[in-house]
Amino acid sequence: MNIGLDLGSRYVKALFMQDGQVVDHRLYDTLKFYREYGRKVNEELLVDYEALNWPEFDRLVSTGYGRNLVQLAGGQVIPELRAHSRGAVHQTGLSDFTLLDLGGQDSKVIKIQKGRMVDFRTNDKCAASSGRYLENMAEVLGLKVQDLGHCLENPVELSSTCAVFGESELIGKIIEGHPIEDLAAGVNRTIVKRVEPMLRELYSPTIVFTGGVAQNKAIGQMIRDILQVEVIVPANPQLNGAIGCCV
Amino acid sequence: MTKKIGLTTTVPVEIIYAAGMVPVDLNNIFIAGDAPGKAIDVAEQAGFPRNVCGWIKGLYTTLLESNDIRDVVAVTQGDCSNTHALMETWQLAGVRVYPFAFPYDRDYDLLKLQMEKLISAFGTDWEQVYQWKRRLDHVRKKAWQLDQMTWQMGTVTGEKNHLALVGCSDFNGDPDEYERYLDALIDEAKGSAKEGSPKVEPVRIGYIGVPPITTDLYAYIESMGGQVVFNEVQRQFAMPFHVDDLVEQYRMYTYPYSIFERLKDIEAEVQRRNIQGVIHYTQSFCFRQIEDIIIRKQLPVPVLTLEGDRPGPLDARSRMRVDAFLDMLQA
Repeated sequence: MNIGLDLGSRYVKALFMQDGQVVDHRLYDTLKFYREYGRKVNEELLVDYEALNWPEFDRLVSTGYGRNLVQLAGGQVIPELRAHSRGAVHQTGLSDFTLLDLGGQDSKVIKIQKGRMVDFRTNDKCAASSGRYLENMAEVLGLKVQDLGHCLENPVELSSTCAVFGESELIGKIIEGHPIEDLAAGVNRTIVKRVEPMLRELYSPTIVFTGGVAQNKAIGQMIRDILQVEVIVPANPQLNGAIGCCV
Repeated sequence: MTKKIGLTTTVPVEIIYAAGMVPVDLNNIFIAGDAPGKAIDVAEQAGFPRNVCGWIKGLYTTLLESNDIRDVVAVTQGDCSNTHALMETWQLAGVRVYPFAFPYDRDYDLLKLQMEKLISAFGTDWEQVYQWKRRLDHVRKKAWQLDQMTWQMGTVTGEKNHLALVGCSDFNGDPDEYERYLDALIDEAKGSAKEGSPKVEPVRIGYIGVPPITTDLYAYIESMGGQVVFNEVQRQFAMPFHVDDLVEQYRMYTYPYSIFERLKDIEAEVQRRNIQGVIHYTQSFCFRQIEDIIIRKQLPVPVLTLEGDRPGPLDARSRMRVDAFLDMLQA
């Protein structure tokens, strides 16, 4: 049994793999995970495996934000972008594509050739193209974040520059009387606008879309329409990094 | 006491030394100070916007808090346009400002005129200036030697290289002492000749752009299996040119001019030093972030762009990016 652990900014993803097959997975709220199951001893993160009640494992590989910040005791650590690249190659069986990973706090675009990462971009110091941004905006609209994914048509033009000012701008648009669906489509559109330059720079005709945000179908469709590319969302987009740790 | 002259960036320091004064690169005393982060806070409390470069804000406070420096040479062209407003806020506080402009097109006569204005303002002459050029070139040669040891023998770390070269902007106000410091570094490097070859050769990294405001970038790169074998702008501060004409020397100095001049130098060094990847560092809110477009198009090796804002250790996001970059180059 291999365990892959992706220590994300919003969620910690644990994935259990036996003989190359995903057996099970767990999703923990990041803050809760560190509060309830982890403690730092001598620069290492000690995880209370008993309390987590995970199956017996032979190998544990973790990745996550700034791998040096979190040295998991008893496990191997690999760089985050390597984990994501491997996960996407494993999940899709493809070897040439551009990987778009939109997670809780950051966005990554990785160019994969012959199964290897050859170049990458990540967002600048800003959360405006992340899952956290979508969560905030959904709340302002009174929607669940999952509902945003159905809103594709008639996007209302929104500034895509700031996740914080974006909220007040959105409230202004609500007051102007735009339908909620159009505003939600506008929110989706801002995400696409943010990542579009990175996707054009590291262009491939095939984009593999992962991270929690990949569950938003409207964003995938907008990328398809704007860039005229094939967009593939693998079976477990949010677990992609954890899968990459297991393979 | 010898009069101190503050500098906002590298200028022909030969002139200041020739005038019997001591140049003080404000950048160096800001970043090496006890609380560089606090200096930025003070500038922000005075009204400097959040979205302005940390170096500008740091320089503002550093000069105002250095009571022994009431004169400053401010570079109004060839560095950062924020310097205009910076020097005006200093003037408001009673500091005397001598503007200095590197002509964008590297025009010989215009540059010479700028230097002559400085010579006359400080009351010296070309003869004394040239005497100091010879003296400083002698010290610079030691910095060049150290740089060579960095990339040819790997006996000088990227960080030591950075510190030794960056200090050549003002020679810490004491060229004799600076020469001794460089001599000691050279001796130390000679003594630490590489023992055998390490199991894994480090990834050879070129660092381009302004010196970093972060405190642990070099150490972090090294801990992750990289070695910085080229510090572009710092090396330029050491004027690695064999030229007798002082005006020509400051024309060959690439930093204040077009990005294409810098790229010629960078490309040559990337090749000469077998550099596998380049880290382009820029400050948040800096116009040099736009030049990243050109750098990426021109350079033949992978480029990682890092952005820094305030002094302190690298943030988790930048660490993640350095990790990924080195991992990619090691593969």
